[in-house]
Amino acid sequence: MWRRQMWGELMTGIGFRKDFAEEFLNSEILLPDFIEVAPENWIGVGGYWKKQFQQALDRYPLFVHGLSLSIGSPDPLDLAFLKKVKTFLHDTGARIYSEHLSYAKCDNAHLYDLLPIPFTRDAVKHVSERVHQVQELLQQKIALEIVSYYTPVAPEMTELEFINEILNTSDCDLLLDVNNIYVNSFNHKYDPYTFIDGLPLNRVSYIHMAGHQKVSDDLIIDTHGQAIIDPVYRLFDYARSKLQRDVPVLLERDFNIPELKELQEELDHLRTIRKNAIYPKVYATA
Amino acid sequence: MQLLETTRSHQSNLATYCRTGEYTSIPGVNEKHVHHYRRLVYNVIDDTLRSAFPLTVNLLKSKEWNDTVQRFFSEHPCQSPQVWTMPKEFYTYLDETQPKLLKKYPFLLELIWFEWLEVELYMMPDKESEFDGKGELETDLLVINPEHILQSFTYPVHLKNAKFITVTDKGNYFLVMHRLPESGKVEFTDLSPFLVRMLELLSEQPSTSDDLTSRTAADFSMVPDQELTDQVQVFIARMKEKKLIL
Ligand SMILES: [Fe+2]
Repeated sequence: MWRRQMWGELMTGIGFRKDFAEEFLNSEILLPDFIEVAPENWIGVGGYWKKQFQQALDRYPLFVHGLSLSIGSPDPLDLAFLKKVKTFLHDTGARIYSEHLSYAKCDNAHLYDLLPIPFTRDAVKHVSERVHQVQELLQQKIALEIVSYYTPVAPEMTELEFINEILNTSDCDLLLDVNNIYVNSFNHKYDPYTFIDGLPLNRVSYIHMAGHQKVSDDLIIDTHGQAIIDPVYRLFDYARSKLQRDVPVLLERDFNIPELKELQEELDHLRTIRKNAIYPKVYATA
Repeated sequence: MQLLETTRSHQSNLATYCRTGEYTSIPGVNEKHVHHYRRLVYNVIDDTLRSAFPLTVNLLKSKEWNDTVQRFFSEHPCQSPQVWTMPKEFYTYLDETQPKLLKKYPFLLELIWFEWLEVELYMMPDKESEFDGKGELETDLLVINPEHILQSFTYPVHLKNAKFITVTDKGNYFLVMHRLPESGKVEFTDLSPFLVRMLELLSEQPSTSDDLTSRTAADFSMVPDQELTDQVQVFIARMKEKKLIL
């Protein structure tokens, strides 16, 4: 029932951040195909930042990645805010709206971070019901991201079973954050390749890539504050070749922002992997 | 609602732990790692408040700041889905709960409000002015920049380093804060009661300088003399330069 959007060549993007907005917009150093923002950071914003954002919109297609939907929360959905998101998606001509498979609000209080949903059967039903509600309101498909987590909470099933159950019962897409898969496989001691094999990859509409921080021998925190490491590039390469089609990929860098040149190098690296995975199949005669 | 009470209570226990630091055992949770959630969540709150209220952070002893933030976050359910507007709730919380800290620093609430107004004015949606002032200063209609806030304080939180404000500074302070049209920067200007009234009248409708002067003077039961007219002219010229008056 939902129309799949046309991607064209919008394939390698960057999270647009205030930290580097000015230099990004006033130079030709960092050249993504698209940008991504969190609607929470831009809805209702005027003045200087609105101008900067408008400049970015004039130049780049926009992907929108929300923070506060809290799809797995026991609290009711914030429909008033969701309507603002809908307007924002419309006004900016956003190509995709994705969110996190987590909860960020509980007991009527926002926590502004992504907490892990218990992997339970009732949570599966709860999430699918809410995905339906959100998509009906927005009149578009959303993509849900598998988040990094540092502890399971009262699980009745594995993470993979939980995600598959949700996708089986919800008409949404999957945002595959390859770094999150790597982080989770390390933290919860499973094989990330087998995990990817177990996902319905035909549902993937968007990919995230990022760096992380190992804080102890047995824990990685998903900081988005470092460069992507080689094992995550390898996992991306694997996911790309298994996908057998082109899916937009985003570089997330939220903290510890390096020189833009370094971000561009990461984008180039992602583009090379994408081409190697896709070109031999799709453009063999070109 | 499909969630069972057990799932809901596990979620609530984790969220409560993040807000208060008080952990109630949750089945399946890795107790060695769960503290990272508390740390990460708390850091978002603390960082957001610190960047909204740098003068307040600078004034308070670090224990005072930390205790206040901690109490705010554990007692107050943050309502805004947009974290950058959450600091306004910090102000409201302090105003409503009146913690002892406000006795020690009687100007603290005003300082926090002043800092919040700077954020709010910097970030708020654009307001279009319906009018545009052009031509001769004396004859043309003056228009106030719609992106302004008139404010009064009982302590000079906008004028003086908060560390040196004492009860002897108590008085009536007026200011106007406005956003510069091009750069979006926020500026504030200290005002006399006369000028406050004048800007209030100007925000009601565009006026000529003469008309504005005489209407303001009338509110103070004064008849404008040359000295007052000259002072107003100087103020208006300065405010045109600062783009408070367009
Ligand atoms: Fe992500």
